[in-house]
Amino acid sequence: MTPQQIVIDALLALAALVALGSVVGLVAAHDDLDRLHFLAPASVASPVLVAAAVVAREAFDGRAVKALLVAGFFLVLNPILSQATARAQRVREHGDWRLTPEEER
Amino acid sequence: MSMTGWMGAAVAFLCLVLAVGVVASRGPLIRRVIALELGGVLISLALLLLAEGFDRDIYFDMAVVLAAMTFATSLVFVRFLERWL
Repeated sequence: MTPQQIVIDALLALAALVALGSVVGLVAAHDDLDRLHFLAPASVASPVLVAAAVVAREAFDGRAVKALLVAGFFLVLNPILSQATARAQRVREHGDWRLTPEEER
Repeated sequence: MSMTGWMGAAVAFLCLVLAVGVVASRGPLIRRVIALELGGVLISLALLLLAEGFDRDIYFDMAVVLAAMTFATSLVFVRFLERWL
């Protein structure tokens, strides 16, 4: 086993572990907004780790660029999606995303 | 690098998708949407790993398209959830 293989396997194992943590959090969290927080590790760390493993194997060829593109998508778009989901939850509960007069006090 | 690492990681991600599918199939709507969002991420990554494991270039394109589509479809679901559902 070469050092390159060890690095790649370690990156993949770490990515799977982070995703596992996110899924456990999703299942075990008490509140739906808490569940939303557990999207972040799987959407940010795992794609970056998988892309790093692809780069470690392929260097910067077409495959690595596509893997980095996927990681970039999730890195940039996940916060937008999380915010939109939290906002939808707030609107469903209170009819508006703004603070109510009681909450402002 | 043997294919074992890539395929093993892909199988692990697909098993996690099953667990997320269980969450997505029960409970309040907002919880289902959150599970759907996580499932989209996991499936995209599994596709990426399978592409490398099978050594096929074309599968990488599918992963890229799925990553973009996951965001778009989730956003549509969230909008419907906010306004009409």
